[in-house]
Amino acid sequence: MGSHDHGHNHSVDDPPTLHDIDKPGGVFLVYVVVLVLALVNIGLSASGGLGVIALPVQLAIASVQALFVAWFWMHMRRKDKVVSLTAVTSLFFVFIFYVLVLGDVLTRHRGGL
Amino acid sequence: MVSASHSSVLKHHFDNLEQQHSAERLGMWMFLATEVLFFSGLFVAYTVYRWLYPNEFGFASSHLILWIATVNTVLLITSSLTMTFAIRAAQLGQKTALIRYLLITAALGSGFMILKGFEYYTDVEERLVPGEIFRTEYAKAVEHQKHASASDTDHGDLQHWSAELAKHNAGKEIGQEGYIDPHKIQLFLMFYWIMTGIHGIHILAGLGCIFWLVQQAACNKIPRENYSTVEVVSLYWHLVDMIWLFLMPILYLAGAGMKG
Amino acid sequence: MSIVIDQPRFAAPVPPEPDPLPHHYLNNKYGILSWLLTVDHKRIGILYLISLTFFFTVGGIAAGLVRINLLSPNGAILTEDEYNRAFTAHGVVMLFLFLIPSIPAVMGNFFIPMMIGAKDLAFPKLNLASWYVYMIGAAFMVWSVLAGGIDTGWTLYPPYSSRYSHTNVTPGAFGVFITGFSSIMTGLNIMVTIHKMRCPGMTWGRLPLFGWALYATSFIQLLGTPVVAITLLLLMVERVAGVGIFDPAIGGDPVLFQHLFWFYSHPAVYIMIVPGMGVISETITCFSRKNVFGYKAVAWSSVGIAVVGFLVWAHHMFVAGISYYAAILFSFLTMLVAVPSAIKVFNWMATLYRGSITFQAPMLFTLAFLVLFTVGGVTGLFLATLGTDIHLHDTYFVVAHFHFVMVGGMVLAYMAALHFWWPKMTGRMYSDFWSRASAIIIFVGFFLTFVPQFVLGYLGMPRRYPNYPPEFQIYNVLSTAGASILGIGYLLPGFYLTLSLFFGEKAPANPWSATGLEWQTPSPPDTFNFDFTPQVVCGPYEYSIGVDQLGRTLPEPPGATGFVNKESNGVG
Repeated sequence: MGSHDHGHNHSVDDPPTLHDIDKPGGVFLVYVVVLVLALVNIGLSASGGLGVIALPVQLAIASVQALFVAWFWMHMRRKDKVVSLTAVTSLFFVFIFYVLVLGDVLTRHRGGL
Repeated sequence: MVSASHSSVLKHHFDNLEQQHSAERLGMWMFLATEVLFFSGLFVAYTVYRWLYPNEFGFASSHLILWIATVNTVLLITSSLTMTFAIRAAQLGQKTALIRYLLITAALGSGFMILKGFEYYTDVEERLVPGEIFRTEYAKAVEHQKHASASDTDHGDLQHWSAELAKHNAGKEIGQEGYIDPHKIQLFLMFYWIMTGIHGIHILAGLGCIFWLVQQAACNKIPRENYSTVEVVSLYWHLVDMIWLFLMPILYLAGAGMKG
Repeated sequence: MSIVIDQPRFAAPVPPEPDPLPHHYLNNKYGILSWLLTVDHKRIGILYLISLTFFFTVGGIAAGLVRINLLSPNGAILTEDEYNRAFTAHGVVMLFLFLIPSIPAVMGNFFIPMMIGAKDLAFPKLNLASWYVYMIGAAFMVWSVLAGGIDTGWTLYPPYSSRYSHTNVTPGAFGVFITGFSSIMTGLNIMVTIHKMRCPGMTWGRLPLFGWALYATSFIQLLGTPVVAITLLLLMVERVAGVGIFDPAIGGDPVLFQHLFWFYSHPAVYIMIVPGMGVISETITCFSRKNVFGYKAVAWSSVGIAVVGFLVWAHHMFVAGISYYAAILFSFLTMLVAVPSAIKVFNWMATLYRGSITFQAPMLFTLAFLVLFTVGGVTGLFLATLGTDIHLHDTYFVVAHFHFVMVGGMVLAYMAALHFWWPKMTGRMYSDFWSRASAIIIFVGFFLTFVPQFVLGYLGMPRRYPNYPPEFQIYNVLSTAGASILGIGYLLPGFYLTLSLFFGEKAPANPWSATGLEWQTPSPPDTFNFDFTPQVVCGPYEYSIGVDQLGRTLPEPPGATGFVNKESNGVG
């Protein structure tokens, strides 16, 4: 990926990726989705009905919001695979960080070396 | 084979604009990955302590100023919207629209910071600052609680957190079931101040970049071919927004599921 | 497996052997500002080279103080307090100001663009900024040392570092924090460059293994360094504000600091060693005149080390209070991370087999690396094993283990890289005799310094202690004696390399008859590296058929007795 291809046909001065311009309607739709989810998140929690599943639900909603922002507004839907790989990899290592640290903290009551 | 023509936007070490834009975008995405890992240290630490001390964290969270957080969330999401429109304006070569959207974004971001400043000021007034300030305030409330009689009216929602906490803990030993340890509330407050503070610094940096873009656009340095400069800043801005979307629930909504 | 050589897509002829240039990157602009404001990746590499050499010397002096003090069972020249500051300074300076930047910042900056046929890195101004950030961070660390130093050990564990130490923890930690950003900038630059700026024909499968290694290193730099950044920030907040998240008084957990700290600091050791492994792949092929055995295995093992290296950090914490289950898991994962490193060593040995080996200085350093890194690596297994680690943790066994891999491994690889690429960077050849002598002196000195430390550790001498029982003195004296020999070995290159700048023979373009693209430019290269767009036609180590990556016949390789015979420097 990224190896420069001499055979490609556009001249240097062509404004690139004109076909990649966002449609305003689409951008606004994402806005509405993300905003509504935020208000839902706050509303659900303020009502206090969730109990112990409150945190996972809140984080799940936040994750969906993040997915919309990344996929549409940050143009992850474009074809550059390295960008998606970068995002996924960073999240994977955050996951590892969480799992292995919590794996220690949550099992400490059993004793250690 | 040297590149065919020399655009003012194309940098010497790149072969063509597509390569340059692609590299700039990838560079910013990789920087965003480092930001995610940077904040992840805080998130992991927070999760550990929240698991260990759910009651204290819940109590402290419910005493933060939720309305400010709500308004700020709306401001930030809207600023991401206008930032996306700014890229579009740049791609279409619409200089006035570009500057307009950038300025609106900056205004929304500044609004966020102003409200945050007000929030911090209020928090300090309320003595929700870990360390000596918190300890003194709580000690005063405990003293007051000792001398309170049973007929003292319950101030309900207007009760100061220290009074509420002292009342809750009255008669309980440290470590007893239902005791909410004021020390661990300070731990939550550390996370509140540090996480929102670092996030705020990132917003300020973003505002700086946006103002720089406005200046560049005004000097005609952002023609259509150079739209990727706007896109690169917008990627950063969207990330700062996303971080807030995770920060806000864990700090302000952690009291959910507990009574008030 | 058949060797693939592309037919060039264009009928363009392969450019001839490059002539020396009257104006090259070193002399095309003069003046201190042309260096301090340069965006040429090669000049920035040289700036780093000068800074790194200075800080290596500083760290070395700190090491000298430590070793001299250990000559006597009760501290020969330093008080206990001064001793704590000396070993902390040694650790902090050597790790953050030398080892972590070392090869990526000097040779990575200089050679990655050249190896992939590009004119510069993706972000030249960011590159210059990374050097300034490094220097600013270094300035803070120097300030903290000059103001009396830090006595916490380079690991800065709270609550001692956050509450009880009366030394300059905050500026020191801040300095480390700042240099971390330099590391991130360098890694980001190299990664984007390798992704987006490879010349035609340079597919991933033809990328020199040095490129794969630096790619893997950059991966670690990008993902790991931010975590230590936040950790140090939290530590500084705790120290300055008097209250923090690691403070047990408010429910904090000091072991959590260790988790956050080692999440970076373990992968950091792979930041240090993986570039060195990349260099070894380059030198071992060139000086055995043979293609590397198992290119794919070596390439992917770099990535493997980078990924698995993130899964093993708590092996530094086995006796710190983590749970049994975490300890068992991390012990298992730590054994796994040995596998990709071992794969590399096997492949390098197989590369040597039936090669046509000569023993110039780069090769001597390379062979020394193979021995010392392997020893260091296998001693890591004793530490990965839970039972033995209980006995060996925080003893000199650990000290010897990491010095074997970091000094016997990484510093020797750095020396190999310096000696391999010196002719290209400076346009001069250095003394063949003295370079070989220094390699041998370093090897001997190293052995003498650190083998006794394995014995000391096994016998139970704790690390960071200035006092020890009299029966350990013989080992400590041997170790210090070795350290003085090592010191001489390090001083020698300072002399002959510097002298070569003034009196050395002018270097031809390809003195070692190597295949990489960086050798297909004059020595020293032009500011923009290539005046044509390189078209790569084959893999990076086609020594056996004698072509470089442009498809041009290689010059006569250097004989066993010295450097390339200039008359027989083959042309096209």
